[in-house]
Amino acid sequence: MASIVTTSLVKEYPGGVRGVNGLSLTVNDGEFFALLGPSGCGKTTLLRTIAGLEKTTSGRINIGDRDVTDLEPGKRKIAMVFQDYALFPHMSVADNISYPLKIQKMRKTDRLEEAEKVGDGLSLQGLMERRPGQLSGGQQQRVALGRAIASRPEVFLFDEPLSNLDARLRLEARTFLKKLQIDLGITTVFVTHDQAEALALADRIAIMKAGTLQQLGSPREVFQRPANIFVASFVGSTPMNLLPATVQDGRVLVSGTSLPLPASAEGLVAEGQSVTWGARPEYLHMSTTETADAFLGGVTISENLGASVLLSISVGESNVRVVVGEDQEPSMGTSVWVKVEPRRSLLFDSDGDRIGK
Amino acid sequence: MNSMQATADSSARPALMRHFLGLMGKTLFIALVLAFFVIPVLWLVFAPFDAHPSLTIKAPQFTFHNFEVLFQTPGAIASLGNSIILALGTMILVLVLGALASYALSRVKIPGRDILLYTLLLLSSIITGTAAMVPTFLLMVKLGLIDSQLGVILILGSGIMPTVIFILKDFMDSIPKSYEESARIYGAKPLRILWDVGVPLARPGLATIAVWAVVQVWGNFLVPYILLQTPSRTPAAVVIYTFYTEGGQPNLALISAFSLLFSIPVIAMYFFVNTRYGFRFYGGIKS
Amino acid sequence: MSEIDADAAASQKLRKSERVKRKGNRTSEDGDSAGLGKGRAAAFVAPAMLLIAIFLVFPALWTLYLGLTNYRLTGFAATHPRFVGIDNYVNALTDSRFLNSLGLTLLFVLGSAVIGQSVLGFAIAWMMTRVRKGVKSVVEFFVLLAWIVPSSVSTFLWLALLDRNNGTLNTLFGTGTTAWLLQFPMQSIIVFNTWVGTAFSMLLFSSALGAVPPTQLESSKIAGAGAWAQLRDVIFPHIRSHVLTNTILITLWTFNTFTPYLLTAGGPDHRSEILPVYIYRLALSEGSLGQGSAVSLIMILINLVIALVYLRILREKKS
Ligand SMILES: Nc1ncnc2c1ncn2[C@@H]1O[C@H](COP(=O)(O)OP(=O)(O)OP(=O)(O)O)[C@@H](O)[C@H]1O
Ligand SMILES: [Mg+2]
Repeated sequence: MASIVTTSLVKEYPGGVRGVNGLSLTVNDGEFFALLGPSGCGKTTLLRTIAGLEKTTSGRINIGDRDVTDLEPGKRKIAMVFQDYALFPHMSVADNISYPLKIQKMRKTDRLEEAEKVGDGLSLQGLMERRPGQLSGGQQQRVALGRAIASRPEVFLFDEPLSNLDARLRLEARTFLKKLQIDLGITTVFVTHDQAEALALADRIAIMKAGTLQQLGSPREVFQRPANIFVASFVGSTPMNLLPATVQDGRVLVSGTSLPLPASAEGLVAEGQSVTWGARPEYLHMSTTETADAFLGGVTISENLGASVLLSISVGESNVRVVVGEDQEPSMGTSVWVKVEPRRSLLFDSDGDRIGK
Repeated sequence: MNSMQATADSSARPALMRHFLGLMGKTLFIALVLAFFVIPVLWLVFAPFDAHPSLTIKAPQFTFHNFEVLFQTPGAIASLGNSIILALGTMILVLVLGALASYALSRVKIPGRDILLYTLLLLSSIITGTAAMVPTFLLMVKLGLIDSQLGVILILGSGIMPTVIFILKDFMDSIPKSYEESARIYGAKPLRILWDVGVPLARPGLATIAVWAVVQVWGNFLVPYILLQTPSRTPAAVVIYTFYTEGGQPNLALISAFSLLFSIPVIAMYFFVNTRYGFRFYGGIKS
Repeated sequence: MSEIDADAAASQKLRKSERVKRKGNRTSEDGDSAGLGKGRAAAFVAPAMLLIAIFLVFPALWTLYLGLTNYRLTGFAATHPRFVGIDNYVNALTDSRFLNSLGLTLLFVLGSAVIGQSVLGFAIAWMMTRVRKGVKSVVEFFVLLAWIVPSSVSTFLWLALLDRNNGTLNTLFGTGTTAWLLQFPMQSIIVFNTWVGTAFSMLLFSSALGAVPPTQLESSKIAGAGAWAQLRDVIFPHIRSHVLTNTILITLWTFNTFTPYLLTAGGPDHRSEILPVYIYRLALSEGSLGQGSAVSLIMILINLVIALVYLRILREKKS
């Protein structure tokens, strides 16, 4: 097992596009690490550069105590699962799983035995003689995992391995993957553009934008304390409320409502400073009776989320969204108060960066 | 009412007439086309089984005797063996060299690659066996490859090689790269990747090329005619012109039986490919 | 060496319409998914290129040189070829036998390829769109058979057909002992080559006709267009590029075919001596290697012109 360290990593494509632009990060030994970001931000590029499928333009990559920057992919002790799985269509499941062992010149009987073992662990019994074309998407995905496992790598690299599955199967596969990773304890880098997947699976998440790192932290940190407006709006299944605001009398004026200063920003802002105020809809409380330090507005839209409801409330010129329990759903047009906890709200400066820790 | 019926009739009659004429014309056309293409071939079907084959097509006095004579004629069966040697030799040559080259050309951007490919194709289409027969003959004399089957294989192989590379590259291009990348991640070296992934996945292309190369060589008359002299090395396409009776007349019994035997492999191969992949696909296979 | 040339391109074009487009895939920037690297790639390509260089390109260049000498197959000039400059070319271009041969070749190409194969091939392909499937398979089978049979055999079939004494044609038409190959040598090889080569045009046109949208044909029918109007207004605009492709390919092949030699050997009295046959007789039968090379080069140049026109059309089609 091994950690992965990239140092000022740059990958420039011919034509000058920088897929990865000066990235330094450490993936700890045994960690489940997610790379998250919008399409085109360089996640795949980073993964492929770590794998050695792309040549590094500058910077270094270490896996464990080895500098692998100039090493062939086959010598890096990695395994990769591609988005389309890249199973060899002309080989049986058993041959696919045991292919890495064939390259390692293991005897045929030994490697088929090994494939059998790996297949059992992935509930592929009875499918070993089939071709990939005769398998469902979920089964193919497990075969691809099996091939990766059979190679006994120090590092797993997954490029959106769940994105070709339908929604229900994806949830199942997600749980399966998490359990597998815990059992094997192999350092895993997992690329996804689905923030829910990243939050659910990862020990730590790196959020990228245009080839650069935006924030690196645990799912909780990333969710509760986004480093900037980009992360704030990208992470979370319901987008964060982000409203223009001004600092006034030690409080913050948002859409005509004066709210207490967020705890993290205390002492770090100047009177009259223009800022962006942010709070997650899940962290706001609605009340039908008058409340201090709260927005007052009418309910304009209500969207059912299952056990909860997402309300849009018009406050002055702006729109504030709040998530309430299903029992609490008010009727349309009702005037309600939305209370904000200082501990759960944030301020961002004019560059979009979070103010305070 | 009467007049109405009359107009209806008068408009229907020419239409019917036209339809009838159209049908006649169509049938006549098809009959003529079939006659044109079938009549010459009939000789190949009847004469081999005729006890007294002549140049006229006629219902045969059925016999297998002609084939017996054929098997006893020195050199006849051996010449088919020579055809097989030339065809398979050329096929293996172009498959191995063509697969290696097209794979590398498909995967690595060598500067000027596309121009190179088109230039080669252009060269192979303008430097034909007929146009280059003089220097080819002289070259083989100088290299000591005159009257050698290897020489014929090299000449025929080099002539079709550009086309082989061109077609195979297209097949190689269509193989998704992630297969090779996974093999590479597990430590496979390039030759190994080509063998484990490239070759199996390009199999339809390789099969096309194999059949095509065989058909090309099998029917080629000019190159072996110019380059080979020893009768025992000569392929069927040339040997067929040496079957004469003692009276100096073409030995029709022999020639007809031999023609049939010689034609069947390519016809079979062609229709095998047809039923397997459809003709559209392989329309350009033979030239 | 074969007449295949751009028939590769043609078969590709036919094939592409069939091929299911595979899903595009990500790859390293230079596409080097197997990690070949430039060095190893060169090693992979080298054997094939070497073969082509030695046995295809070198002979062509040598033709260029030989054409400038008085090289002969036997005799003094075989061991001591002398440089004669452009004499051979001047001789060739003013020699009446060469001019005769060139004229016959043009006639041969025009008659058997441009007119014979294209027109017949198109007519069959078109007719086959209006007949039952069974009839279509039978007709296509026999047209293809003529194409597939090895040339050594098909020439024998035609020798049998056209023979003076016992030939099928004379029996069939009651034309006595007409010696077709002696009395009508050019007509004979033109019809023969049409017979051999029609299949390619038929295949190409039938695939082209298959791509004409049926809705357009129906709407023209509804508008009352006759067969001729339909051909002119709907079908021809769709297959124009196929007509061009077809014409050029079969021109190139017909121009280079040696097979008629097996029917008439260029005779009688040079009356069917098309260029390939002329070169063969001049250089390898009569031994004038230098003179033969000069004619070869002229032939290569004509090939080049045809091929360049073809490449140009291909490029225009692509853009
Ligand atoms: N082969 C290439 N040549 C040039 N530019 C490329 C190449 N591959 C990717 N890029 C560019 O590099 C940037 C990063 O691409 P990358 O595929 O890494 O994004 P991604 O985060 O994986 O996106 P997605 O979520 O859509 O998969 C993009 O701007 C892309 O256009
Ligand atoms: Mg990606």
